[in-house]
Order: sequence, then C-alpha cells, then structure tokens
Amino acid sequence: MKGITKTIKRTPFMVTSKVGMSKKSTDPEFDDYQRHFGNMEKAAEKLLKDTKAFTDAVNGLFTSGAGFATHFSTMFHPIAGEYDLIGKNPDSAQTIRSVSKYETTMEELRASIGPELELIETRIVGPIKDFQQVMKTIRKTITKRDHKLTDYDRFNNSLTKLRDKKEKSLSDEKNLFKLEQDFELATNEYDFLNNSLKTDLPKFMTLSTQFIDPLFSSFYYMQLNIFYSIHDKMAGFAGEAGYDITNVPGSQIAADYEAKRTDAWAQVEELNIVKRIISVSKLVQANRANGGGLERSATSASTSTASSLGSTKTSPPTRVPSNSFAKKVPPPVPGSAAPAAPPPYSPSASAGLAAAAAAGAKRAPPPPPPLKPKPKAAPQIQYVVALYDFAAQADGDLSFNTGDRIEVVERGASAEDWWTGRLNGQQGVFPGNYVQDT
Amino acid sequence: MSWSGFKKTVNRAGTTLLQKTGQIERTVDREFADEEAKFRTFEKECQVLQKDSKHYWDSMRAMTAAQTRIAETLETFYGAADRTSEGAMAGHAYKRSVDDLDGGFGRELDGPFRTTVSEPLGKMCAYFPVVNEHISKRNKKLLDYDSARSKMRKLVDKPSEDPTKLPKAQQEHDEAKEVFDMLNDQLVAELPQLLDLRVPYFDPSFEAMIRMQSKFAEEGYEKLSGVQRYFADTIRDDYAAGQLDAQVEGVLQEMRELSICGAN
Repeated sequence: MKGITKTIKRTPFMVTSKVGMSKKSTDPEFDDYQRHFGNMEKAAEKLLKDTKAFTDAVNGLFTSGAGFATHFSTMFHPIAGEYDLIGKNPDSAQTIRSVSKYETTMEELRASIGPELELIETRIVGPIKDFQQVMKTIRKTITKRDHKLTDYDRFNNSLTKLRDKKEKSLSDEKNLFKLEQDFELATNEYDFLNNSLKTDLPKFMTLSTQFIDPLFSSFYYMQLNIFYSIHDKMAGFAGEAGYDITNVPGSQIAADYEAKRTDAWAQVEELNIVKRIISVSKLVQANRANGGGLERSATSASTSTASSLGSTKTSPPTRVPSNSFAKKVPPPVPGSAAPAAPPPYSPSASAGLAAAAAAGAKRAPPPPPPLKPKPKAAPQIQYVVALYDFAAQADGDLSFNTGDRIEVVERGASAEDWWTGRLNGQQGVFPGNYVQDT
Repeated sequence: MSWSGFKKTVNRAGTTLLQKTGQIERTVDREFADEEAKFRTFEKECQVLQKDSKHYWDSMRAMTAAQTRIAETLETFYGAADRTSEGAMAGHAYKRSVDDLDGGFGRELDGPFRTTVSEPLGKMCAYFPVVNEHISKRNKKLLDYDSARSKMRKLVDKPSEDPTKLPKAQQEHDEAKEVFDMLNDQLVAELPQLLDLRVPYFDPSFEAMIRMQSKFAEEGYEKLSGVQRYFADTIRDDYAAGQLDAQVEGVLQEMRELSICGAN
C-alpha cells in the first residue's frame, strides 16, 4: 500500500520530467556502471540459455547416436526368418560383424554422458542461476535508487519553485518547511544508495570476472571431456572392429564412400515395385507381352521384364508404343542376341529360384516362325504339361496355366518353335518351350 | 475420384463386408504376408534411422554453435573488467578454437554427411510410399479377384438360365486373377530383393559414419585442448579436485556480502 502511494506521488514528476518541464539530475559515473551491469545481466541470461542449448545438444547427440546405432544394427541383423547375412553379402561382413559392437559402444557412451551432463547442471548452471539471483537483488537496489532519485528531484523542484515565489502565503511557508525536511531526507537516502552502488558495482564487476574464471575453466574441461570420451570410445571400437579412423579431410571420407558404393543403388532403382504405378491395365498388357517370353524386338526387351535384370530404367512412355505393337502383331521374331528374360510369373514357389534361373536360361529367345505353322492332323494323341503360365497374346493363341495337360495337335520343329495344342476344347498355338512332355 | 473409381471403391467395400461375414472366401497368401511383414519392419527401421541421423547431425551442429555463443558471452564477462587477465586470454583462445570448430567442421563435413548418410537414407525412405502403393494396389486387386471367384463359383454351383453368364464370369475371374497374380508375384519376388539389397546399400554408410564421428571427436578434442596452454598449470588439478567449484562458491558468497545485495 505504501508502495502504491509512493508510485502515485511519483507519477506526476515522471510525466513532467519526460516532457522536459522539470529538471532531472543525472550522475554519469553511476550511469556508466549501470550500463555495464545491464550488459552483465544480459550476458548471464545468454550464458544460461546457451549452456542449456549446449547440454540439450550433447544430450541429443548421444541419444540419437545411440538410436542410430541401435537401428542400424537392427537393419544389419536378419529380419524375421532371414539367415546368413554374411554369407549373402560377403563384402559387408565387416559391417555385419561390427554393428552389435557399435551399438554397445554408443549405448555405453550415452550412459557415460549422463554424469557429465549432471556435472554441467550442478557446477555450471547452478552457479549461474545463483549469480543471477545476486544480480536480481542488485537490480532491486538500483530500482530503489532510481525511485529515491525521483523523490530527490521532485522535492528539489518543488522547493526551488516555492523559494522563487515572490509572495508566500502562510500555507506556503508551512509547506516550505515540510518540503525542506522531505528534501533532506530524500537527499540522504539517495546519496546513500547512489554512493554505495558506486562503490560496490565496480567491486561486483571484478568479482564477476573472478566468478567467471573458475566457471569457465570448469566448463571448458567438461566440454573437453565430452569430446575426449567420444574420441576414446570410437577409437576403442574402431581398433577392435578394424576400422581406420585416421583424421582425414571430409572430402576423403565422401570419396571413399563413393568408391565403396556398390551397384546396390542401381539394383534398387531397377526393381519394379519402386516405380510408380501408372496404369494397371498397361502393366497387364506389358506383362502379357513379356509374360509369353516372346520378345518382339530389342525395344520391347527393355520393358518391365527385362528391367528386373537389365540395366536400363524403364520409363512409361517407351512402354506404350511397344504395347500397341504387341496387340496387333502375333508373337515371335526375337532378336536372338537379346538376353533371355525370364517371364515375370515366376514358376510357382515349389520350382525354386534355381530352377527358375535355369529355365530362364534354357528358354532363351523363343524363336522366329514369322508365320504360325498350320495345324496338321496329329498322328496320335500326345500330351504335354505346361511348365509355366501362358496368356494368349493374339487370336489363335492357346492360354494355359502351369500344370495344365495340353493335347498336342502339332509339334513344332523344335522346342523353340510354336506348337499347336488343344485344352478345354480350345485349340491354339503356344511356345513349345513352355511345356514338357509327359 | 472418378466415377469408375468410385464404383470400384463401393464394390470393394461390399466385398470386404461379405468377407468379414464369411460369405466370400478370402485368399490368404502366406508368402506375401511374410514378405510384407519383413518389409514393414524394414520400412520402420529405415524411417527411425533417418530421423536419428538427422537429429544426430543437427545436435552436432547445435553443440558447436552453442559453444561459439558461450564463447561470445564469456568475452562480455571479461570485457567488463579486465581484458588482459589469464582468464580473458584463455577465453579468447577458447573462442577462436570453437569458432574454428564450428565453421570449419560444418563446412567440411556437411557435404560428406549428406552424401554418405542422409542421401542414401532419404532415397530409400522415398521408395516406401511407392512400394506401399503397389501393396495397396495388390490388396485391392485381391478383393476384386476374391469377388470374381466367388461369383464364378456360385454360377458353377447353381448354373444360371442364361448360358452366357458362366463364360462371362469365368473371363472376369481370369482377368482379375491375372491382374492380381501379376501384382502379387511382382511383390513376392521383389520385396525380398529389396530387403536383401539393404545390406550392400547401406554398408558403406556405416564406415563413413564411424569415420565422421571419430573425426568430429578428434578435431573437437584437438582444437579445444590447445586452449589449455592459457590456463595456469594448477587449474587442471584444481578442476579435478573440485577446487574450482569452491572458488565459484566463494566468489558468490563475497558478492552476497556486498552492501548493495543486502540493501533490503
């Protein structure tokens, strides 16, 4: 309540002094100290904030470092039902063997950093906070001194005004006496605070430097220790796992990385499932076109089927022409030099991968006959069993699924030729290398 | 959504419902389910890895950046009183070394880190939505296939008056099966390939990461340790013995004893 009354009394003076109607006294010496003190306050604030940022960053560094290691390690361990990663990727054996060790190392590092951060919290952040507390009380003193200065100026002004008044009334005389008393009180209070601030602020500044000296040294050693523990752990790990961690320029690391990069990137890119689906119906057509294993030309060879093996990246536009082409023209005319692409329909699981590869090689370019041989009367009924699915590509083709028993109407000249057969009452031609004699 | 797309959605919703109530048999493809589960694990791991690697790098940068800011603030403190004291000299040396670390380190390792860790991870993670598109397409086509098959079976069990119905249903069934098989076989064949490729794909990143981590620690340590020259010989031991903390406390106590601190 007293404070509020004081504030109200001071307000008129604050206003008049602001607009220059009344005189305000200044003390340059004190102002200088105050400015320094203000800087110090800001600095302490900033130091606290940055120290916090630093601890957060270190914490983040170690947490995410450990997280990275954990997940990298998971990635280099067999995922559900996989086995023998090293056998499959002999080139990556070193990494596969090291990931677990790396994970442990990073986890240890993360655990070891806890006490270090704790140290920063208690030995650096704590004292800075105490220091701020001290500054707060000093700031309070400064505010008080400012208030007393206001009082001093206020009484001083009124006193001068009253003294300058030519004719003083009785109440003026009474006021004058009271003002003189007030003024003296205000002067004493102000002088006391102002002087003690002027003597103590420089002392405080010196003490601040003395305060920051050991604080900085401690902080420095803590930081050094953090770098050291990473370095130490990494060196230990690298030594055990056989990695060369000699300090080389960053560009060297990138260059070595590029050199070690395998064609895995290209292989991933060639997978069909990482390509956006443009249109399922087009895919079906392309699939039919290639699924027969009857390559039409070099261009169609580079479409989806080939891309799972070949090196060219299929772009949708090239697919379109070959598809429309596929619709009209009946099968063959393969470029005999074109690499044999296995049909995308992998022979059902039981056949196994090896079998598929072998079949793929054997069933090379299913051959020419530009014209389909005309069916002739079969001498006797023969049956063959379909090794693969075959979908009709043109009128007159015979579709079948793996395992279907097809009655042979006419055998082609060889397995690489078109044969004629009958299935489910339908008669049509099919590639001879898609079937096997019973 | 187009009209035909909308019709498909409605039909598929119906099929799902009928499957749930057991009216339509649902195709279960163990092989695909296994591959999908593995793929999901891989996808999740990759995404977490990407997040962690980014966070790691950001933290490294934030750490050195915070150090430079701390160094600046220290200068303010020393600037307030005495610029030539041992502490001020050390503070200055510290500032130089952390500036060096922050600037040089960022410039030098930013590119390599991106090439060796961020980009491979980012690229792999960018594939996932596409693969998922394939998977959801396959799932939709599976519904179509299930529905077409059930239609056909019904016609076979209970032949219709209209003789054209069965061949038509059969054809629909065959088409749906073809589409589904195509998508399914592709996924079953390629998902394991994608998974297998992860090892050679990420392998070089591992060594690069280790080398960069070591480099960061080594350079940081080397640069910072140079500052020690500016400290008095005893400081290291004082730090180890906890003397410095006592000093800090002592100074704080002296401050509190100043008259301006106890003024109220």
